[in-house]
Amino acid sequence: MAGHQLIDDHLADLARRLPPDAVDELADGLLETWQCHRSAGLPPAEAARAAIAEFGSPAQITAAFVRQSPGRRAARLLLMTGPLVGVCWGAGLGVSRAWTWPAPVPVAAGFGLALLIVVAALAVAATSRRSYRRTRLAALGGAGLVVLDAAALAAVLLLAPAPVWPMLPAIPASLARIGLTLHALPRVLTDR
Amino acid sequence: MKAEAQALKGHLDVLLLAALEGGPRHGYAVKEALREGSGGRFDLPTGTVYPALHRLEGAGLIAGSWSVVDGRRRRTYTLTAAGERRLHAERGTWHEFAAAVTALLEPGPWPATS
Repeated sequence: MAGHQLIDDHLADLARRLPPDAVDELADGLLETWQCHRSAGLPPAEAARAAIAEFGSPAQITAAFVRQSPGRRAARLLLMTGPLVGVCWGAGLGVSRAWTWPAPVPVAAGFGLALLIVVAALAVAATSRRSYRRTRLAALGGAGLVVLDAAALAAVLLLAPAPVWPMLPAIPASLARIGLTLHALPRVLTDR
Repeated sequence: MKAEAQALKGHLDVLLLAALEGGPRHGYAVKEALREGSGGRFDLPTGTVYPALHRLEGAGLIAGSWSVVDGRRRRTYTLTAAGERRLHAERGTWHEFAAAVTALLEPGPWPATS
C-alpha cells in the first residue's frame, strides 16, 4: 500500500479478521482519508493516526461487519423459525405414532445427531460478535437444514404406512424453510 | 457525538440512501456526505458505514460495482429503483413525523382534555 506503515499495520490486522473484498474496500477508504489529512497539511504519521481514529479500531469495524454479515442474519432467521417448524413436526410425528414406522434406529439416531450439529452451527453463527469466520458456519447449518428437511419429507412419503394427515402442517413448513434457506444461502456462500 | 450516533441508528439506512440520491459514491464519500450534510453532527466511525452499505446492497436497495482508482480497488454504490422507492416512502413518513413532533414542541397551548 502506498500509505503509511501505521495504515498498513491497521489493514493487516483487519485482513486477519475480515473477507478480502471488505479489506480492499476499507483500504481504499482508509488511504483516501489519509490523503485528505495529508492535503490538509498533516505530517504522514499524524495523518495516519487521524485516519485510523476516524475509521475506528479493528475490533469496532469487525464487530460492525459481523452484525451485518449475511451469515449471522441468515442463522438468526433460521433459528427463529426453527421452533415453529419443530413444533409442527413434533406434533405430527407424535400423533402419527412415528416410533412405530419401520425406520432403522441408527438412521433415526443419525438424523437426531445431524439436527443437533446443524442447530449448534447456526447458534454459533447467530451469536458471533467479534469473529466473522464464525458467521460462515451459517452456510454449513443452512445446507444441513435443507438436507434434513428433505430427508424428513422423504421419510414421511416412504415410511409412513398410511396417509398421515397430522403431518400436513409440517410438510408446507419444511418446504417453506427449504425455500427460505435456498434463498439466503447464495449470499452467505458468495460473501467475500 | 455519541448521543447523535445513537439517535442516528434507526435512521442510518434512509440517510445512506439519501446520500446516494445525487449519484454514485464510494464508502468514504458517503460518510463524508453524511458528515458535511449534517454540519458535522453525524460523524460516524467510517469503518462502520461499509457494513451498513453491504446490508443495503444485500437488500437490493443499492448496487455496488468495483473499479480501479490510483491502483487500488474501489467499490462504488448506486441507488437502485427499489432504493429510490424506499427513500421516497421514508422521506414522506419522516416529514409527517417531524411535522407532528415540531407542532407539539412549539410553545403554545395544548388541546384541553375533558
